[in-house]
Amino acid sequence: MNKNGPLEYDYSVSKLFIMNALFVGAIGMLVGVIIAWQMAYPGLNTFLGDGLAEYTNFSRLRPLHTDSVIYGFVLSAVWATWYYVGQRVLKVSMAESKTLMLIGKLHFWIYFVSASLIVTSLLLGWTTSKEYAEFEWPIDLAITVIWLLWGASIAGLVGFRREKSLYISIWYYIATFLAIAMLHLFNNMEIPTILATSPAGETMVGAWWHSVSMYAGTNDALVQWWFGHNAVAFVFTTPIIAMIYYFLPKESGQAIYSYKLSLLSFWGLMFVYLWAGGHHLLYSTVPDWMQTMGSVFSIVLILPSWGSAINMLLTMKGEWQQVASSPLIKFMVLGSTFYMFSTLEGPIQAIKSVNAIAHFTDWIVGHVHDGVLGWVGFIVIAAIYHMSPRIFRREIYSRSLMNTQFWIQTLGVVLYFTSMWIAGITQGMMWRAHDEFGNLAYSFIDTVTVLHPYYTIRAVGGTLYLIGFLMFIYNIYKTTSARRVEEDELQNASPMGA
Amino acid sequence: MFHWLEKHPFFFALSVFVAIAFAGLVEIIPSFAQASRPLVGTTPYSTLELSGRQIYIKNSCNACHSQLIRPFKSETDRYGHYSLSGEYAYDRPFLWGSKRTGPDLMRVGNYRTTDWHENHMKDPASVVPGSIMPKYTWLYTNEADIETAYAEQLTVAQFFSVPYNTPIPMKDGSSKVIKMADSIAEANADALDEAKVIVADMKDQSIKDAVANGKIPEIVAIIAYMNSLK
Amino acid sequence: MDIAQLQAYGYFIMTAGLAIGLYAYIYHLYSKRKDADGVDYENYSNMALRDDVTDTPVNDASSDKKK
Repeated sequence: MNKNGPLEYDYSVSKLFIMNALFVGAIGMLVGVIIAWQMAYPGLNTFLGDGLAEYTNFSRLRPLHTDSVIYGFVLSAVWATWYYVGQRVLKVSMAESKTLMLIGKLHFWIYFVSASLIVTSLLLGWTTSKEYAEFEWPIDLAITVIWLLWGASIAGLVGFRREKSLYISIWYYIATFLAIAMLHLFNNMEIPTILATSPAGETMVGAWWHSVSMYAGTNDALVQWWFGHNAVAFVFTTPIIAMIYYFLPKESGQAIYSYKLSLLSFWGLMFVYLWAGGHHLLYSTVPDWMQTMGSVFSIVLILPSWGSAINMLLTMKGEWQQVASSPLIKFMVLGSTFYMFSTLEGPIQAIKSVNAIAHFTDWIVGHVHDGVLGWVGFIVIAAIYHMSPRIFRREIYSRSLMNTQFWIQTLGVVLYFTSMWIAGITQGMMWRAHDEFGNLAYSFIDTVTVLHPYYTIRAVGGTLYLIGFLMFIYNIYKTTSARRVEEDELQNASPMGA
Repeated sequence: MFHWLEKHPFFFALSVFVAIAFAGLVEIIPSFAQASRPLVGTTPYSTLELSGRQIYIKNSCNACHSQLIRPFKSETDRYGHYSLSGEYAYDRPFLWGSKRTGPDLMRVGNYRTTDWHENHMKDPASVVPGSIMPKYTWLYTNEADIETAYAEQLTVAQFFSVPYNTPIPMKDGSSKVIKMADSIAEANADALDEAKVIVADMKDQSIKDAVANGKIPEIVAIIAYMNSLK
Repeated sequence: MDIAQLQAYGYFIMTAGLAIGLYAYIYHLYSKRKDADGVDYENYSNMALRDDVTDTPVNDASSDKKK
């Protein structure tokens, strides 16, 4: 930055994270599409030949898919927006402090290196088996460092701020930081096996990266799903709400419908969310009262979730023509709608009698994906579309490409969740069906073969979403060389080319 | 007070933390005071079984197979007695899974044999027509990592007092000792002895030869683990 | 008193406390409308809308120090 020039926001860290989000997002979704086709056509498990079967088979790729989209794509986007929104609403530039800039850069590069280690280790099968916390202890330590660096950056920007009050988005970022820190530390309590000594005095026995969970059996399950559920909450919900509370008002030029409601929903969400983890363990061996608590709080969770969602939608009050005219607003409005939909579907699945059918089936997979593809994916895409013209000082390359992308991806999401609903309920009902003599009506394999058409439709849906995502990357890539724009074009609605 | 919180980020963060940590505090910490006790007859895993369990985890078998039988007639008809908390006392990590693309495996040792697994893992569709499970051919060539399994036994024995080398009461009033070796060499020898029992029921000559030569292919270890699930 | 009882009391007191806190907050927000600095809560939306580095903050952080 020119030392004598006027003070400007510095988006260099944000830009790095955006590029990473695009790159890892494409990989993670590609892996997702591959494993979706593998479920429909198992021959594809050896798509790179029998020699590499170990590394191309469904079970090795599945954690790679989940972890790369959660921690590669979404977290990158969360940080890209943090280094963008954080500066703007606190009115501090990263350029004002060399230390802050260094923290930001370190944050990115350590994260980037760790991400490559994660990919390698998962392909090699180095895993603790805990969903979304598969990483072994050395990577867990690296994650802790990355997290602390983010914490330092939050503390730094908040500490230097010119705006005395913290905007609601900042609240959500802080909550994300705190909750994930707590969840990560407690769920990954593990003892590296190299610490043990054999009676013969041998030390450092076996693989150096292997570890054993501090918790056993039911306790381990309890901690894992307290983590698993809330990792979803605090990666897929709170930072995404942080994004939309900034990007929707900014892009539309409309003030948040009710700022008070946003504050209330925040506290409601904070208090209620953490209780709901028990709904992953209904009818398991954890104490009954925890299961009931999980169910009840899941229902209560509708309130703060809808509080935020309605607030977002009503922000567009009187300006609905923008939904028709701007594809960027379309992404955000449909994203909020999917949020409402998903936060209603989740509590329904958490009702014990519904869960008896839904648990272990594809309906759960469908629920996750209408949330992540419809809500998280769309808001992240919208956020990156909004930031790009401001970061590159250029207009978005093509509005019509954006529109096409929007409709292709929407079709993809709809195909995905409808097929998974049918698949899940079909399977759940077939598992429990008895004939007139009280015997099981179907053998297990009957409940697998019947799903083939739905698995195929789902794979088509996923492929459409991936195609849309590739169009998105192309659009952003072309934006970097599109028409230059002036400062005053960047006030609200993002400038777009034809 | 509220206003004050909103402008003091540190105290704001502190109160957010209290709100989110509350659930864990009430739900999780007290239940740890009552650490799960093993059911009578539940034993820790032997070296070869534990190695098999590590292979199960390495290949994310838990991504498609649960190990949790819910208390419904349809599930107990299909898989056996519903799961009890004490049965999992030695499971680190737990392997309940969250999706049943394939059937539950909690008690698979009761109704599947070594021979069945041997054929099934090589080509699932040849045993169960229509199966969408991938072929796990590399299990027949990769060697099991017995040392890491032994390291895990040492760790759980030292840090969590898992009762190896001590008599464990069984349901019929007798007792059983699960052995943990004194050295790596002994652990390898013990695992090989276990492997010989498994391999006696197997047909694949190359696996039989490998074990005769003192090697343990992954398939033998994972079958030992499968057979232990009862 | 065993751990389960402690757990139950602890749970009840904390939940009641947090519920009262939340309702007090709702009452506060909608009865006062403005915070102690005299800023209407709804004006805080402008933190997003007027967020250029040269824009005037809704509630200047340096105003405290000057007082």
